Amino acid sequence: MREITLSKAVNEAIAEEMRRDETVFLLGEDVAEAGTPFKVLSGLVEEFGTERIIDTPISEPGFTGIAVGAALTGSRPIVDLMFGDFLFLIMDQLCNQAAKAYYMSGGKLNVPMVLRTNLGATRRSAAQHSQSLHALVAHIPGLKVALPSSAYEAKGLMKTAIRDNNPVVIFEDKLMYQDKAPVPEEEYLIPFGVANVKREGKDITLIGTSSMVQVAEAAAEALAKEGIEAEVIDPRTIVPLDEETLLKSVKKTSRAIVIDEGHQSYGVTGEIASRLNEKAFYHLDAPVVRMGAMDVPVPFSPALEDLTVPTVDAVTAMARRLVAGEMIHAA
Amino acid sequence: MSAARKKKTNTDDYLRMYRQMVRIRAFEDRANQLYLSAKMPGLTHMYSGQEAVAVGICEALTETDKITSTHRGHGHCVAKGANFKEMFCELLGKEEGYCRGKGGSMHIADQSNGNLGANAIVGGSMGIATGAALSAKRLGTGDVTVCFFGDGATAQGLWYEVMNMAALWGLPVIYACENNGYSEYTKTEEIAAGSLTARAEAFGIEAHVVDGQDVLAVNDLTQKLVARARKGEGPFFIQLDTYRYHGHHVGDINREYYRAKDEEALWKAERDPIVNFGKWLTDQGITTSDDLDKLKSEVEADAEAAVAYAEAARYPDTREVDMHVYAPNAA
Amino acid sequence: MPHDVIMPALGMAQDSGLIVSWLKSPGDAVKAGDALMEVETDKATMEVEAQADGFLTRVTAAAGDTIPVGNVVAVIAETAEAADEDPPAPVAESKAPAEAESEPAPAELPDGKSVIMPALGMAQDTGLLVSWAKAPGDQVAADDVLFEVETDKSTMEVPAGHDGYVAALLAEAGDTVPVGESVAIISADKPADPQRRSAGPSAKPTAAPSDPAAKTEEAIATKATAPARPSPTKAAAVEGVILASPKTRRLALEEGLDLARLAEAGHPQPFHVRDLETLRTMPARGTGSAAPVEAAPARHLSARVSSDGLAGFLAWARAETQGSVDQSTLLAGFARASLRSLDGNPDPVIEVETLHGSTRFPEAAEDDATNGKPDLILRDLRASPLNGLRMGAEAAPVLTLVQEDETLTLTLECGAGQLDARAAISLVSGFAGRLEDPLRHLL
Repeated sequence: MREITLSKAVNEAIAEEMRRDETVFLLGEDVAEAGTPFKVLSGLVEEFGTERIIDTPISEPGFTGIAVGAALTGSRPIVDLMFGDFLFLIMDQLCNQAAKAYYMSGGKLNVPMVLRTNLGATRRSAAQHSQSLHALVAHIPGLKVALPSSAYEAKGLMKTAIRDNNPVVIFEDKLMYQDKAPVPEEEYLIPFGVANVKREGKDITLIGTSSMVQVAEAAAEALAKEGIEAEVIDPRTIVPLDEETLLKSVKKTSRAIVIDEGHQSYGVTGEIASRLNEKAFYHLDAPVVRMGAMDVPVPFSPALEDLTVPTVDAVTAMARRLVAGEMIHAA
Repeated sequence: MSAARKKKTNTDDYLRMYRQMVRIRAFEDRANQLYLSAKMPGLTHMYSGQEAVAVGICEALTETDKITSTHRGHGHCVAKGANFKEMFCELLGKEEGYCRGKGGSMHIADQSNGNLGANAIVGGSMGIATGAALSAKRLGTGDVTVCFFGDGATAQGLWYEVMNMAALWGLPVIYACENNGYSEYTKTEEIAAGSLTARAEAFGIEAHVVDGQDVLAVNDLTQKLVARARKGEGPFFIQLDTYRYHGHHVGDINREYYRAKDEEALWKAERDPIVNFGKWLTDQGITTSDDLDKLKSEVEADAEAAVAYAEAARYPDTREVDMHVYAPNAA
Repeated sequence: MPHDVIMPALGMAQDSGLIVSWLKSPGDAVKAGDALMEVETDKATMEVEAQADGFLTRVTAAAGDTIPVGNVVAVIAETAEAADEDPPAPVAESKAPAEAESEPAPAELPDGKSVIMPALGMAQDTGLLVSWAKAPGDQVAADDVLFEVETDKSTMEVPAGHDGYVAALLAEAGDTVPVGESVAIISADKPADPQRRSAGPSAKPTAAPSDPAAKTEEAIATKATAPARPSPTKAAAVEGVILASPKTRRLALEEGLDLARLAEAGHPQPFHVRDLETLRTMPARGTGSAAPVEAAPARHLSARVSSDGLAGFLAWARAETQGSVDQSTLLAGFARASLRSLDGNPDPVIEVETLHGSTRFPEAAEDDATNGKPDLILRDLRASPLNGLRMGAEAAPVLTLVQEDETLTLTLECGAGQLDARAAISLVSGFAGRLEDPLRHLL
C-alpha cells in the first residue's frame, strides 16, 4: 500500500468530500494560496477556487460564528483554526452556539460543521501555540471530538466528520504532519466511536490518543522484550468514546495506563481512567494510571519542554511497575 | 408573507401589520401575567413598545428569508409567522413548544419560518446571521438574513469582525439594531461612544436611521434594502430608534434609578406604534376604529385560548432529557 | 370582567412579598398603571401597579402581611358596588408566619440554675447533645458529668456546674442545640415534678428572649475543663486492613479464599491475583471447610455417666423382645424427649451418626428431601477409641457420645445462637439422666 503524510491525508479527505458535496466549503486564516502555515491545504484553492476555500481576516470568533450560521442554513463548512490554542477565542461560538443549537431547538436546527485544528507540544512554540485542549471541548455536550493518530486515521476520520450532522472538532498533531503511514487509494471512512486495537497483549492495556498512540506502541515494543505483553488501543474519537472495547481489554489485562497529551488534571486521562474504575473495578489488579502532560504552561526551552509530555521511557517504566505489582503512589 | 401576499392590496398589508403588532402586544401582556402570577418558569424579557420594528422588518421578508433573534425575541418570533399555541407552550416548558420545552422564553423560535433561533448571549447571533448570508450567497438561494440585536450588543467585538467579512464578501445580510435606549439597566449613551451608524460606515456599509415606532417607515426602508441585498448590494445597517415599555426583564420593576416614569409615560402616550398606526389607518379611511377593536378582541381571544391550551398541555416526557444532544446521521 | 390583583414575583428568586402599604382604598377607582400597593421583597421596596381599570375591591391582605407570590390580595371590579359583596376569607395563613407557627406556651419550668450549651470550639454555633449522664430528679454534684456534647472537632463531657437536683432536661440526645441555650435546670431542692423536653423551635437563638428558662440565674456550666476525648481513631483499624487489588478480592470471594491467611503468613502486600495461587496451596486451617457458623462463639458442655444403666436396660430389652434392639432408635428417642421438654418442639428431628452411617428420626417422608437441618445431631462414637473431643460448632447442635471403660462421656457442642445456655444445660442434663436411668424415659 502507498504511504502518504498525515498532511496529504487531510488534504485528500477534504478534496474528496468537496468533490462529492457542493455544500462543503472551507474557511480560515491563510487557507487558500498559503494553504495554511503547515501547508496542509496546498492545492485546494486551485481546484475549488476562492469561493470554497475562503481566506478570512484574523477574526476567529467571527469566522467560526459565520460557519455556524452557514451550517444552520444548508452548508457543511469546515473551519480551519490555525492553532488549537485559539479555541479560547471562539468558545462562545463553538460551545454556546454550535454545540447547543440542536438541543435548544428541540431537534429542529442542526450544525453540520467541522472545526479542524491541532494539538501537540515540543515544537518550541511556547505556551500559546503548544497546547492540547481537546478535553476542553470534549466537556461540552453536543460536540464530537476526533483525535487522529496517523495519516490513515486523519483521512478516514475527516471524511466521517464532514458527513456528520453535528459539530465535530478534529485535532491533528502538528508534529505529525510529515509522518507517513499506509493509506489506501480507494475510499474509506472510519466510523466514530470505534476504537482501534493496535496491538494485542494480555498483561496491561496502554490506551493512547493522537500522538500518544505512537508512544504507547513504542512502549509496548520495549515491554515485549522483557516478556510483558501490552495491548495498545487508540480510541480515535473521545466523543463518542468506545467504552466497550476499552473495558473488554482492561477486563482481560487487569491493568491500564491512559496516555494523552492534554494536561493531566481534569483531563482526558482522568475521564477514561474514571470510567474504567467505575465499570471494570472488580477486574482491576492495579490502579489505572493517568499519564498526561504536566500541569504547567508549556515552556519554551527545549530543556524544559521535553519534560512536560509523556515519553516512551516513562510509560514503559510505569507499565513495568504495574505488572510487577508495585504500590503506585503509596503513602 | 409568501409570494401570494404581494398580489393583495395595500389594505391587506396594512391590516396584517396592525394585527401582527397587536398579536405581539397580546402575547407579551399574557407572558407578563404568567410571570407575575408565578405560572411561568424562569423569567422573560418583554418586547412591548418595539412592535413596529419586528413587524415592519419581517413583513418585508419572505418565508425563507432568515432572521436571528435575541433574548427579547418574542416579537421577532410572532412577526416571522409563529403561532401563539406553540409559543405559549414553549414559554411554559411544554412538549408542544417550538423547542419542545428545551429553549423557553429566551430561545423561542419557529424554525420552519426561517427563524434561526433566539440567542441569549448578547450579540451571539451576529456570526450566525452573517454565515446564513454567506450560505445563501454560495448556494444561490436568494435569501436575505436580518440580524436583530439591541444597542447593548453593539459593544460586542464579534459584530465588527463579521461586519468586516460581510462587507468584504458582499453578503445579503441586514444588521438591524433596535436602539431602545437602554443596555439592560444602563442608558445607551453611557455605553456607546460616537455614533452607531458611523461604526457600520467604517466598514463601507450603508447605514440608515429610522423611527422604530413607525411601522410603515420601517417597512418601506426594509423592503428597499432587502431588494437590494437580494441583488448583491448588501450588507446594510439600520438603526431603529424605539422604546422598551417594561424593564430589562419582567422582574425589573423598580427602575427609576435608570429610567424616569415620566419618560415611560410620554412614550406610551405619544409614541405607541399600535395606537399611532391605528389612528393613521382610521384617519386614512382604510378601516374603522370599530373594526380595529374587533380585530383586537379576536387576537385577545386567540391569546387567551392559547394560554389555556398551554397551561393544560403536557410537559415533555422525562426520557426527552437526553434527546437532541446529537443529531442522528443517516445509516 | 373582574381582575385579580396578585402578589407578583418581583425578584429573581422570591417566594413571597410583604405589603408595606396600600396606596388605594377599597372602593377607589383605579386605572391600569396606577400604583396599588407598596411591596417589599428581599431586595427592594417597589410599587405594584394595577393591570386593569376599575374599582379596588375585596382587599384581603393588609399592610404588614407577607403574601406568597401568586396569591390574590384584591380584585379590580367593574363597579365600586362589588366592594359591598361579602369579602372572601382573609389570607390568614400568610399573616406573620412566625406567629402562626408558634407553639402553645410551654408549661412553667421549675426554678433553678440554668445549664447552657457551652461554646467548646473556636467557631462553633451549636453542639450535638450526644447523651445525658443524669435523669430528671437525679441528685448531682457540680463536678458530676451531666451530658456529653459533640462538636465539629471532638466529643466532650460537660459537668453539671451546680450541686443540686436535675429539675429539667430541655434537650434530648440527638438534638443540636445553639451555643448559649439552656439545656438543663439544676434546682437546689429535690424537684416535685422533674421535666424532660426536646429542644424545639423555641430553642432557636431568635426565640431566646422568650425562653422561660431565661428567668433563671444563668451560669456557664463548664470552663471546658474536661479534656477533649478523641473520637475512636481510625489508625487502630488500619492494622486489620488487607491491601489487595479489586480483582484479587473478587476472585477470593468467588473461590471462598481468605486473604487474611496470606496476611497472617506474612505474605507481602498489596495482594494481586498471582498471590491467590499461594493462598490456594496453603494447608487447610482447623476444620477447614466447615460452615461459617463456627465463627460464632461456641458452647461446649460435657457430662459423664456410668454405662451401667444403659447396659442393663439393653439386656432387659433384648430379653423382652427376643432379639435385637436398635440402639440408634433408642438414643434418638432419648434425645427427642430431652429436646421436647426444653423448647416444646413436639417433633424434633434427630440425626444419629455412627461410624457406619447416619439415620434420621423420625424417618423423613419420601417426598421430603432430607436436606433440612436436623434439630440435633447425635454422634454415637462409643465404638471408636475416642474418649473426648472438641470440634467446634456445626450447622446444628451436636451431641457426641463416647465411652471409656464403664464411663459414657456426653459432649454437646453448638453455636451460641443455636441453643441458649439454659437450653444447652437442660439438654445435656436431661439426656445424661435418661442414659443413667433409661426406665425413667419409658415412664
